[in-house]
Amino acid sequence: MSRLILRDLVKNFDNVAAVSHVSLEVEEGEFVTLLGPSGCGKTTTLRTIAGFYQPDQGEIYFNDRLMNNIPPAKRNTAMCFQSYALFPHMNVWDNIAFGLKMRKIPQAEQKTRVDKALEMMSLSGMEKRMPAQLSGGQQQRVALARAIVTQPDILLFDEPLSNLDAKLRVQVRVEIKEMQKRLGITSIYVTHDQDEALAISDRIVVMNQGHIEQVGDPQSIYLHPTTSFVAGFIGLANILSGRIVAREGTRVQLELPFGRLWAFVGDLRAAVGDTVKFSFRPENVVQYRGGAANRVEATILHAIFMGDAIDLFLDAEGTRLRAHAESTAHLKPGDTAAFGIDETAFQFLE
Amino acid sequence: MGKNRGLAIDYLLLIPGVGFIVLFIGSSIFITITQSFGILSVTGKSQFTVANWVTIFHDKESLDSILFSLKMGLMSSIGTLLFAFPVALFLRKGGAGKRFLASLIKIPLFIPALVAAFLIINLISYHGIVNEALLAVGIIKKPLRMLNDKFGWGVVAIQVWKNLPFVLLILSSSLASIRDDTIDAARNLGAGTFSVLFRIYVPLAMPGILVSMILMFIKAFGDFAIMSVAGPTYPPSIALRMRNTATLFQEWDKAAVLGVIIILTTLLITWIYSRLAEFVTGGK
Repeated sequence: MSRLILRDLVKNFDNVAAVSHVSLEVEEGEFVTLLGPSGCGKTTTLRTIAGFYQPDQGEIYFNDRLMNNIPPAKRNTAMCFQSYALFPHMNVWDNIAFGLKMRKIPQAEQKTRVDKALEMMSLSGMEKRMPAQLSGGQQQRVALARAIVTQPDILLFDEPLSNLDAKLRVQVRVEIKEMQKRLGITSIYVTHDQDEALAISDRIVVMNQGHIEQVGDPQSIYLHPTTSFVAGFIGLANILSGRIVAREGTRVQLELPFGRLWAFVGDLRAAVGDTVKFSFRPENVVQYRGGAANRVEATILHAIFMGDAIDLFLDAEGTRLRAHAESTAHLKPGDTAAFGIDETAFQFLE
Repeated sequence: MGKNRGLAIDYLLLIPGVGFIVLFIGSSIFITITQSFGILSVTGKSQFTVANWVTIFHDKESLDSILFSLKMGLMSSIGTLLFAFPVALFLRKGGAGKRFLASLIKIPLFIPALVAAFLIINLISYHGIVNEALLAVGIIKKPLRMLNDKFGWGVVAIQVWKNLPFVLLILSSSLASIRDDTIDAARNLGAGTFSVLFRIYVPLAMPGILVSMILMFIKAFGDFAIMSVAGPTYPPSIALRMRNTATLFQEWDKAAVLGVIIILTTLLITWIYSRLAEFVTGGK
């Protein structure tokens, strides 16, 4: 088990910055997810931690040990690949035992450890099968067993679930989380799937264009995004900007094309006259029933029934908004309705 | 009805290809086999006999030729593999000069074996470039015998040079099918360069390695052109002896025996290699 410290990491490919000035500290036993769209640098960061890439700048520490010049084979990390990367010419047993053989672990201990890993991943009885004879889910479990059997300092996951079907994906991610908690191995998990990130992580690192946008636990990332990228990438959000026209203690009044909205600003330092960027979630825009500080009249453009709610696309005097209505509501395109926005729902963005 | 007619047309379309093989190559192999037993003989009267076989196997010169050809087949296939595999690995990974090297190495493909043999002679003959250079620098006192040498190094050298691109093509496609993730996984699990090479690259490229070795063996074992230019004066290769037996001594039936031996050896080696392939790839 190790603490992982990335300090000002930079990696360029052909003069394009894949990772630019990434600094991050991961505690022992922590499960941290790198989340972002493809090309955001999350996989490059992961592969640099594994040692497959040399950083152009910056340092990687496992505990107090500088790892920059340590070859991948000597880093004692274990990676789960998107493709599983099982050795096609070895059976399940040999695949799992590979890392132990490389570490010259005595035969007897190899056997106990592989047996334990097989049992843990419910693979007992499949020792002699070849990877090609296994289902995707089974291959995934062999890959996990192969990774944990070496007792790595850091587990690295490169979108390990993206080749599984939706149901299995949810099941395996719970298994991964449980296994990680039980073994207490520091884990870095790369994904572009926000649901997966929210479900599995102790902390989420949202990345965009090679840099870190925001770091925080799932709840704070979802509820309190600090940049418009994070607000837009995690869940759905209405991202708008408006001028502050009045301030009353911790509340400000914002001027927008379709009217004025009251919003709690918390400790945001903003003065009357400033233009600020902010977001609120569709689930905070609901049918007006009195009480809410803000009332907005809008025309319904599309109403999509989702089962647990109705997803609404609104037009408020030219501004497009997303809103939610209860699944029993009778709303159809063309209707005009009143919507309330809770003043605590506003998140101010950089 | 319609289905049967479709099938008939399918077979008709196969005739130019398959028919040619069956008619001309199949029949000539058949005649070679019968001739070796004295039947359908072109020289004497047609009568079943094993005398030709007995003579060949009691003839030390013939046995020497067979052994020499076997040795050349084996040495050439191993030699080519040893030279081609590192190049194929380099070309897979890439690096500076990859494209230049890839085209440079294909040159021998466009040069016929006999021409190649004469080109290499300039290099390695008794007063060739290599010997003259070594003499001039003072590394050797008298020229080395690299051509028409008793062991057959000259032959092996030319075979390797000539067939390198061919074997490289097979090995490259074999190595290209190995995923980068597989290599990374091995390195991540603690495998150093040596282990990655012998536990991942070599076993995964084994089908290509075996195929290229079989093809190289068959080429070198039955070779005529390179053996006649660069081979030792004694023993002649089995193909040279076959030609001599047939045309110089007019003993076509004995030549047929040698021909059958070439075919059988080739089949036997192919069978052994394929069993080996089954063994290394886990019987799939």
